[in-house]
Amino acid sequence: MEALEMYTTDDRTDVYTEELKLNLGPQHPSTHGVLRVELKMDGEIITGSRSDIGYLHRCAEKIGENVTYLQFTPYTDRMDYLASMNNNLAWSLTVEKLLGVEAPERAQWLRMICAELNRIASHLIAFGTYGIDIGANTPFFYAFRERESIMELLERPSGARMLYNYIQPGGVRRDVDENWVDDVLAFCDVFERRWAEYNTLLTNNLIFIKRTANIGIVTKEMVFDNGAGGPVMRGSGIKWDLRRDVPYLKPYDEVEFDVPVGEGTHGTLGDCWDRYWVRMREMMESIRIIRQGCKAMPGGEVMEKGMKKMYKTPLKPAPGEAYVRCENPRGELGFYVVSEGGTSPIRCRARGPSFCNLSMLDSLLPGTMLADAVAIIGSLDIVLGEVDR
Amino acid sequence: MNEQQLHQKLRATGLAGIGELDESACDPFVVVEGDSLVEVCTFLRDDSETRMEMCHNVTATEREGSIEVAYHLCSYEHHHSLTLKVLLPKPEGDLTDWHPSVPSIAGVYTSANWHEREQWDLLGVRFSDHPDHRRILLPEEWIGHPLRKDYVYPSSHGGIPLELDAVPLYERDETTEETPSEPRPAGTPLNQPPSEPSKRPHAGGKAPPAPEKKAPKAKKEGDA
Amino acid sequence: MDILITFFAETLGMSGVWPLSFAYATCIGSLLGFVTVYAMFAIWMERKVAAHIQQRLGPMEVGGWHGWAQSPADALKLLFKEDIIPDGANKWLFWIAPAVVFCGVFAGFIAIPFAAGVQIVDINLGVFFIIAIASIEVVGVIMAGWASNSKYSLFGAVREAAQVVSYELPSATALLAPILVVGSFKLSDFNAYQAEHGWVLFANPFMWIALLCFFIASLAGCKRAPFDLPEAESELVSGFHTEYSGMRFSFFGLEEYVSMFVVSAITATLFLGGYTLPFNLLDVGNLPAPFHLIGVAVLVVKIFAVIFVQMWLRWTLPRMRVDQVMSLGYKYLLPWGLFAVAGTAIWQVWMEG
Repeated sequence: MEALEMYTTDDRTDVYTEELKLNLGPQHPSTHGVLRVELKMDGEIITGSRSDIGYLHRCAEKIGENVTYLQFTPYTDRMDYLASMNNNLAWSLTVEKLLGVEAPERAQWLRMICAELNRIASHLIAFGTYGIDIGANTPFFYAFRERESIMELLERPSGARMLYNYIQPGGVRRDVDENWVDDVLAFCDVFERRWAEYNTLLTNNLIFIKRTANIGIVTKEMVFDNGAGGPVMRGSGIKWDLRRDVPYLKPYDEVEFDVPVGEGTHGTLGDCWDRYWVRMREMMESIRIIRQGCKAMPGGEVMEKGMKKMYKTPLKPAPGEAYVRCENPRGELGFYVVSEGGTSPIRCRARGPSFCNLSMLDSLLPGTMLADAVAIIGSLDIVLGEVDR
Repeated sequence: MNEQQLHQKLRATGLAGIGELDESACDPFVVVEGDSLVEVCTFLRDDSETRMEMCHNVTATEREGSIEVAYHLCSYEHHHSLTLKVLLPKPEGDLTDWHPSVPSIAGVYTSANWHEREQWDLLGVRFSDHPDHRRILLPEEWIGHPLRKDYVYPSSHGGIPLELDAVPLYERDETTEETPSEPRPAGTPLNQPPSEPSKRPHAGGKAPPAPEKKAPKAKKEGDA
Repeated sequence: MDILITFFAETLGMSGVWPLSFAYATCIGSLLGFVTVYAMFAIWMERKVAAHIQQRLGPMEVGGWHGWAQSPADALKLLFKEDIIPDGANKWLFWIAPAVVFCGVFAGFIAIPFAAGVQIVDINLGVFFIIAIASIEVVGVIMAGWASNSKYSLFGAVREAAQVVSYELPSATALLAPILVVGSFKLSDFNAYQAEHGWVLFANPFMWIALLCFFIASLAGCKRAPFDLPEAESELVSGFHTEYSGMRFSFFGLEEYVSMFVVSAITATLFLGGYTLPFNLLDVGNLPAPFHLIGVAVLVVKIFAVIFVQMWLRWTLPRMRVDQVMSLGYKYLLPWGLFAVAGTAIWQVWMEG
């Protein structure tokens, strides 16, 4: 790769300075993973940036062509490892579209509840780590207190604390135990009180606002041009949510929830604070969805009957292709699966939302300061597992 | 608008190179010629009835006789989406140096910039007029395009030999000492193709061969 | 100090320069011992304060009761660590930087009165001497950042230079207000005044503004959050002390806690009464020896109260960006400090004739 060119100012009328080439990453406390950003800096101000990804590339797509459809589900967990349920859900919906089956009703409601719980867990990490990036070390611990409850709740049906492999083509793997719904509702009550605590700590803190408002402004045109989705899109004022506008799960049609958008409260529309505030409010909306889901969830089977038989032998969908988009906590996750009738897909592509959100970085960074670079990367909320797959 | 209506609209523009709407697959797609791709995308983005503001995904797939590049365009104003495909038929013979070319739509949708770089990286599809045509996930010096069906797994990486058919550690003979590998000289690529083809089967979408019925061994591996 | 000189001169029969030298050596030696023990305690306290703010417990294992032996254990561990010096580092500067940094802030101890007569030197310009000599650490930090041969360290050093030097101004300006009230720069005079007239903080309303200005400016001078950008963990890995390991690294930590002690001592002495008790319950300044050493306890309690507030702020507030820090120092703290001084001056003339 050609190195970024360094040049020296030859204008001796002013103080003689050189441009500094600084590597942010790949090992860095704030790049949210192994991301390398080559920066050209004039003092504290960034004049050029170039992102370099691929440090976490684990050849998931090639592996997908060599394993069966069911065996690939754990690989989808590990792409966006903070939102495993949502990744599993997107993959399962794509395979179900290819197979032409639909999950039973109880499974769909369980899927929705688990996906929303995982959304809250993912946004809690975004909130906690954003605090650390900005310098406040305490909100992280508070966030992890709630995340511990969520992980314990999700461990009961799936067996794992983080990489669940629970939602599978045809339904969900296992039914939940009898007290699970009550415990989820109890968690919702606790969480609402705690959410108010997070707000007092970080949201209206003047130092936090000065660090995030008017920084990293993403305009509406930039959103569509660069393929950004999720809180990045909603933070710029676009009221779009795949769960409501292109519903991929029936229960989303039957529950009521708002779609929070940024309003430029403390600065320009589309700055870091707006994205942060969208994530905070989305957590409360997820609580609403979970409450309604828990009350309305019907009984019944959790795995499509035909699928249970089909799981004895590897799945063989009819030749075809399917592309399904789902609302991940980070944006719009898309799975494109091409099948030619065999037991493995011949192409299994994951369009990660962080991949597209991150591509905006090189246009957002120049002109900001180093401290702002960290704030911007944190507000885009990327997970390198999804960027690199 | 559903796919049929979008296809009608495209046909009505009179642009050359717009093929049929293939509905046999689960998700219908429109086949487009490579030369008119940029105009089609520009039309779909700018026309008020279609308004496909975002290019959601660019994927290249290697099939039996061709490489297909699929473009998933989505509209946020009208809640519809469309898939375009460009087919690049494979020539006869060795495909190692074959890099088919498609015009890049990075000028129309900036999101396609990184998607196209990834497809170049993994499948070797060139995108002409791409502003930054280099690999994105793999290092620049990588040889080969891994997602190709005829991709040969490297025999060494950074000077360290990779033994794909290696004998497990507990079965190795400890007495033979291997000489430590030398640091690789600067400029040599990271992955060297092997000198002879690997004995490992490449599954490539087909079911793995059924295990041969062997006579029962002394050691049984778990339950049947 | 006089007691020690008399002890060495008369009891031990030394003459010439020896009594003074031995007296100084004893004082500095005991201060070094005190500083080491204090730093260990302060680190333990910081970890406990941080933990309880973050809803966890902090050190609990080492030593039994709430992990009191964690700090000595860590100090021992750091002593045994490998001393890594980066390849392209300027060895001499790299070696001397922690020493310069520590000596700068340690020298401030000379002028602090711990109790009546328990002061190494009662300097005429006590307050300003401490402020001035503590700024030698800037040189040490810049040396550390430059000599590390790392761009991140350089960033930390440059930020630190800008920040600490800039905040000398509001710091010193805010200190002029209590000096006007008491009428002297000598720190022992402050204690005498506050024994008679009550705390300087309650002398007039402008004192609160002066205290606030000085407190915030001293936070910036100690490089504590919310002004910890020279060592900003999330951006610069560790700022100017990224490349330091083992005992050298612990010198920087020691320097941070010692400078916290020194600025808290100034705060306590100038605003909060020094070694005298509130309402002068017990006339600590005039107690017979050895009871006058109660003053030490009183002062240390006040210092630790201020240090606790500093730690509390560190774990609650996020970090400011460097240009925001500069604008806060020059555009807000300095004018308010000047306003406090002007107000105090007017008050003194008006109220007290």
